[in-house]
Amino acid sequence: MNAALRSFEAQWRARTPDALQPIREQAMQRFLKLGLPVQRDETWRYTDLRSLAAQSFATAACAFNGALADEPLSLVDAEQRASTVVLVNGCPPALASIPAIDGITINSIRELAKVDPSFVARFFEPASDDDQRRWVLLNTALFTDGLYLKISTAVSAPLVILHLSSGEADQAAHPRIIIDVLPGSSATIIEHHVTRGDAAPLSNSNTHISLGTDAQIEHYRVYAAGAGASQLDALDIHQCARSQCKQFTIGLGGSFIRSSLEAHLSQPGASLESYSLLVGHEDRHLDCVNIVTHAAPDTRSRQTARAIASDVSRVIFNSKVIVKAGAAHSDSQQSCRGLLLSPEAEIDTRPQLEIHADEVKCAHGATTGRLDPDMLFYLLSRGLDRETAQSLLVYAFLADVLSGMSVSSARSAIESALISQLPDSQLLRKFR
Amino acid sequence: MLEISDLSARVAGKEILTGVNLKVNAGEVHAIMGPNGSGKSTLAQVLAGREDYEVTRGSVTFEGRDLLSMRAEERARAGLFLGFQYPVEIPGVNNVYLLKAALNAKRKAAGEPEVDAYEFLALIRQKMKFMQMSEAFLSRGVNEGFSGGEKKRNEVLQMLVLEPKLAILDETDSGLDIDALKVVSTGVNSLRGPQRAVVLVTHYQRLLDYVIPDQVHVLSGGRIVKSGDKTLAQELERRGYDWVMESRVA
Repeated sequence: MNAALRSFEAQWRARTPDALQPIREQAMQRFLKLGLPVQRDETWRYTDLRSLAAQSFATAACAFNGALADEPLSLVDAEQRASTVVLVNGCPPALASIPAIDGITINSIRELAKVDPSFVARFFEPASDDDQRRWVLLNTALFTDGLYLKISTAVSAPLVILHLSSGEADQAAHPRIIIDVLPGSSATIIEHHVTRGDAAPLSNSNTHISLGTDAQIEHYRVYAAGAGASQLDALDIHQCARSQCKQFTIGLGGSFIRSSLEAHLSQPGASLESYSLLVGHEDRHLDCVNIVTHAAPDTRSRQTARAIASDVSRVIFNSKVIVKAGAAHSDSQQSCRGLLLSPEAEIDTRPQLEIHADEVKCAHGATTGRLDPDMLFYLLSRGLDRETAQSLLVYAFLADVLSGMSVSSARSAIESALISQLPDSQLLRKFR
Repeated sequence: MLEISDLSARVAGKEILTGVNLKVNAGEVHAIMGPNGSGKSTLAQVLAGREDYEVTRGSVTFEGRDLLSMRAEERARAGLFLGFQYPVEIPGVNNVYLLKAALNAKRKAAGEPEVDAYEFLALIRQKMKFMQMSEAFLSRGVNEGFSGGEKKRNEVLQMLVLEPKLAILDETDSGLDIDALKVVSTGVNSLRGPQRAVVLVTHYQRLLDYVIPDQVHVLSGGRIVKSGDKTLAQELERRGYDWVMESRVA
């Protein structure tokens, strides 16, 4: 047993059982039996966790002593958002301090579990051996508390959840969010992951989105941790009939990010659009896994990923579409494009398909390369200088994902943060 | 204006141009014709400054300057324009942005101030009307989702906005229906003038019914094997390229 596993087991033994104990127990036993994933595991082949496994982790404290200045953290203009809820190392604020928002009920998961454990248990996936879910098992066992959000009408202003990671590098936090969108309701939720201070705890977060019949969500997760930070984040999406999910995953912070998305299109007419914008910068390692399961007829999924890698960074995008037997007329597309901006950078993409039904439409494509020489020559031949032409093409590369964002201030804040990590950022700002 | 002597060039290690000689004076329109694979497009790309095309011999002067020592962007700013045979689609780069950036790059090189936004839009609208293009094209990505004919019209539109001294049009006529061909020809003819020159690279004589050339050259095996006036194009149309090759052997 490695040091990390031993320390997680010690944390497990030290904690006081709560209303979710049976679920936690099951998850922890499974986690201890399987251990941390290794590169032999299918979805971990590009990521080596050995140095992480050699470290010990203590529980990160809920307290944050610094000042929470709103401005530098904000992705959405104050007048445009419904509210911002700040979680420090996964711990929600005192609920009384959260302003009431029409159509959104916010609860502490722990408090809710005390009242109705079986209701809360519905939002926990059954313990699984799947290697992409290993860290979710640990989150289930050890999460201190989290937020349960119930959306019961059409809420137009976006709600921002600010995940603040603060403390020491030998600590770990397990933030947990449940978003329950009732039938016919809709919302925009932005999860923004940041760190404060020079060092930050390991963040192992999980978000569960449940979409009722005809429900809609636009969901963002923006990884913007400081240099040196490590983060594992898993998103589970369950979709009922005709529900629509538009999801943006934006990787532009931290040194190590492992991000996964598992979507279950469980009933006819469910539709998922997933956009990933993965920016490798300096020595960042960004490993992204998407698994989309079409489990019902007439379901639709679109995955669009754009990866840019500069310096000595590495970006990985693995996506898989599974069409279950009986899911006739499923329609899926996977498009991944990678752009290498330095000879030492690396991008690995692997689109996969697993089809068990007839009459389905599944398309996939993946390309990685440097700036297209034909495009570059075209711009040069019109008199643009080389630096401008190159920057313009990098900017254009990002446009596909950025243009899909409907929260304009978030789009512009994300765009600005992205640009600051690209070569010739001064020049790029001109095109905005 | 343009003087090419003994120009040879390689693409991916293969000799494509094998000693081209050509002189184009201001005010003239030249047509370069030839069978597929004769090196027509390579010549156009070499003149525009494509870097992966390696010049192995010869020289090119443009208005007395050594063209081959200039980078692609410098050639463009000096007044050379290439209309591409296959204009590339650049999603995410706005058409109108490119037009403005190109015009300003040229003006800056000439020591002129940047174009005023209002003045620029007025200019674009006028040229688009002339090219019978919908203004919807302006907000689209460069050539993005354009049909073959729309791409060619867009090339000519860019040419009209940039007003080059020397326009090299690489098979701008291919893939056009008769109406589009007339629009494109009107565009090219509007650029003719005593200070300018046009080189039309084409496979067919069709375009030359609308844009009457001063001289016609046949490129074959990487060099010009025959030159003449506009009647040469008609003769080629009637007798085919084999006729030139045979007469060359004879």
